[in-house]
Amino acid sequence: MSESNKLTDLSYLRSLTGNANDKMAKYIRMFTSGAPLSLQQIEMYSLNKDWDSVKQSAHALKPQLGYFGAKGTEELLREIERMSGDKVDLDKIPEALKNLKVQLDIIVAELELSLKEFE
Amino acid sequence: MINKNLIYIVDDVQMQRELLADHIKANMSVFEIHCFTTGEECIAASKVRPAEIVFLDYNLNSQIKDAMDGVEVLQELKIISPETEVVMISGQDKIEVAVNSIKHGAFDYIVKGEGAFVRAEKVVFNIYRFHKLTATANKYKSLMVLFGIGMILMIVLVIYLQKYGYIRSSPGWY
Repeated sequence: MSESNKLTDLSYLRSLTGNANDKMAKYIRMFTSGAPLSLQQIEMYSLNKDWDSVKQSAHALKPQLGYFGAKGTEELLREIERMSGDKVDLDKIPEALKNLKVQLDIIVAELELSLKEFE
Repeated sequence: MINKNLIYIVDDVQMQRELLADHIKANMSVFEIHCFTTGEECIAASKVRPAEIVFLDYNLNSQIKDAMDGVEVLQELKIISPETEVVMISGQDKIEVAVNSIKHGAFDYIVKGEGAFVRAEKVVFNIYRFHKLTATANKYKSLMVLFGIGMILMIVLVIYLQKYGYIRSSPGWY
């Protein structure tokens, strides 16, 4: 995948960590292990129609995507947070979660690939 | 009494805690930093060793459903240690959230995102400056009280000396 097609951009995290490889690796590992679990949690809350919990979990995951430059996915989470928080367009949430899962899988794959660079 | 240069960070998301702690350690090495997952843990630690600054997440119940939320923790921290400055952090850039935080005694409010870490550093600097200014103002206030007491003592002494004839009633005038 070319750089321009990537969903992630590590330049912000690089500047934040002062380009320290150990810290970059630490944060990438933290995200790749934690984000899929957060997504599972959101999906479970959505199945149970627990919209307040969907909102809370989406809200917690959202800024982390920003740190990895995944702006589009951050925006998708913002939308899920809005729909579940305002209880509008609730029928659109399952579809949005499907998109989120696809994007998150790509993000995790990209980050795991770049992890080799920092180890 | 707060512990100078001690910072507590409370966030239920590990990455948020670690990123903020690492950023402060890297740029302000004078601070000792401790991180907590829940407000309850921070409250327990504050009872033993209150911090100078607490960075507190507004939504603390995204992982643990029955955990105390940020505002509840803020209120409790202010009761335990009124001198501790609490800085609320949230992913919501809503004005109501900021107003609610300040209303309950937060020093400042930071929105999570790319600028949050630099802003946190500035807030620490502002708190330090605020504490220094408050200490200076208190010093001047004490000096003014001492000056006032001195003046009163002087007047009492003059009245006493006049009454018992040690000095004339209008000394130095004629």
